[in-house]
Amino acid sequence: MPTLSHVHLLLNHVPTVGTAIAIALLIVSFVRQSDELKRVALEAFFVIALLTIPAYTSGLAAQIQIQDLPGVSTVLIEAHEDAALWSFIFMQLTGGFAWYALWKRRRTGGQARTSMVAIVLLSALTMAMTARTANLGGEIRHPEIAAAAGEAVLAQEVAESEAQLDTDPPFLSANQIGLFLTDRVWVWPAFESLHFIGMWLIFGIVLIANLRLLGWMKTWSFPDVHRLLPWAALGFAVNTITGMVFLTASPGMYADNPSFLWKIGFLMIAGLSLLYTTAFEGPWWVGSGQNAPVRVKAVAATAILSWIGVMYFGRMLPFIGNAF
Amino acid sequence: MDFAQALQDSTIAQWIGQSGSLFGYPLFLFLHTLGLATIAGLSAGITFRILGIAPTLRLAPMVRLYPVMWIAFAMTVVSGLALLMADATTKLAQPVFYVKLLFVGLGVVTMQLMRNRVFADPQVDERPFTSTARTLAVMSLLFWMGATIAGRLIAYLV
Repeated sequence: MPTLSHVHLLLNHVPTVGTAIAIALLIVSFVRQSDELKRVALEAFFVIALLTIPAYTSGLAAQIQIQDLPGVSTVLIEAHEDAALWSFIFMQLTGGFAWYALWKRRRTGGQARTSMVAIVLLSALTMAMTARTANLGGEIRHPEIAAAAGEAVLAQEVAESEAQLDTDPPFLSANQIGLFLTDRVWVWPAFESLHFIGMWLIFGIVLIANLRLLGWMKTWSFPDVHRLLPWAALGFAVNTITGMVFLTASPGMYADNPSFLWKIGFLMIAGLSLLYTTAFEGPWWVGSGQNAPVRVKAVAATAILSWIGVMYFGRMLPFIGNAF
Repeated sequence: MDFAQALQDSTIAQWIGQSGSLFGYPLFLFLHTLGLATIAGLSAGITFRILGIAPTLRLAPMVRLYPVMWIAFAMTVVSGLALLMADATTKLAQPVFYVKLLFVGLGVVTMQLMRNRVFADPQVDERPFTSTARTLAVMSLLFWMGATIAGRLIAYLV
């Protein structure tokens, strides 16, 4: 059974390498004036933002696993974590604008210019932040130095890395988020309420859109239903924010929790199906009174089932895993 | 609270609450959540449409969502009763539990009122929505939010 730490090793280069590739695609699309490439770049930003969710969350698990090992500096881990928090925020903003631009372009065939400007700026910032995060992450463990030179050199190396860190307290840190939640009794239940309202917002809209693709309410053409999708995206945004706050405040409840691993797995499928429903040709051309092609129906069923999976494993966090 | 105690001591309540099986308390909790997501989420979709989102989408076909919402409602009632039995002495003594029941009741009544007042009109998509329709739509959203928040608070205001 893979743990979240394995997931971190698997995914920790996705935000940096992925953002670089998506930016390159975007630049090429401008140079070639290719609308199709532009769409691919936007889709890439959305998928990378999605994959950044497990990349970030699995880092919290990796931290818990390695922080007590010899030669591992908690100071460096925390610096990496705080940098990752910022990268995560900007990555999600980029992904959110990319989703919106895809939605708008699908509807109007236009350029969604404001969103494109936002994406160019945000992705450049994201690139810088993920590069810094990756750099700090690379400082955390030096097995090759330990093997070659022994403990003393390793300790010195760690001390040098720590000394290079900016010692000013960060504007926003994981610790501050943790304190914000644990110091005030009302914050956790308030965020949970928001997380639940976000949940039914997503599920209701996803259900309506995908039931149409499965053949219900067939007099609707899909482009008419498509207009409701931003409300599911809003729910997604609310739940990404509230979910990340829970996780940052109390990583121990999720780090080694198999239920959380499953929840994130289903979330990836659910997120990809939302991208398909929003931007791809298949659903878009389902007209009034028409049946959707089989592959579109298959994705529609997958979308509904994967959100049910997300809810099931979210609910099972305390029972299959060890949350609360 | 003799009734609550007797309920909680019954064999079935003991099994739901104490067996530790994933088919006991956890399953009912999940079904309760899925029911909430379905009934509140679909109601939200209807609300958005009545409030003017997706103006080209005809409202009338949404009447097909009603059977789904009623099944979801039945599921939340059954699973809710199971959850209540397992923890009757605590929950029946919590004021916020009755606040939640009130919101759920109002939510369901609003849902049926929408069917009778809004969906029953064969011309519903041919003219602007009435102020009654819009009021019901807003109430529906607020009641389900209220039910969700009160439901969450049951776990905290012990």
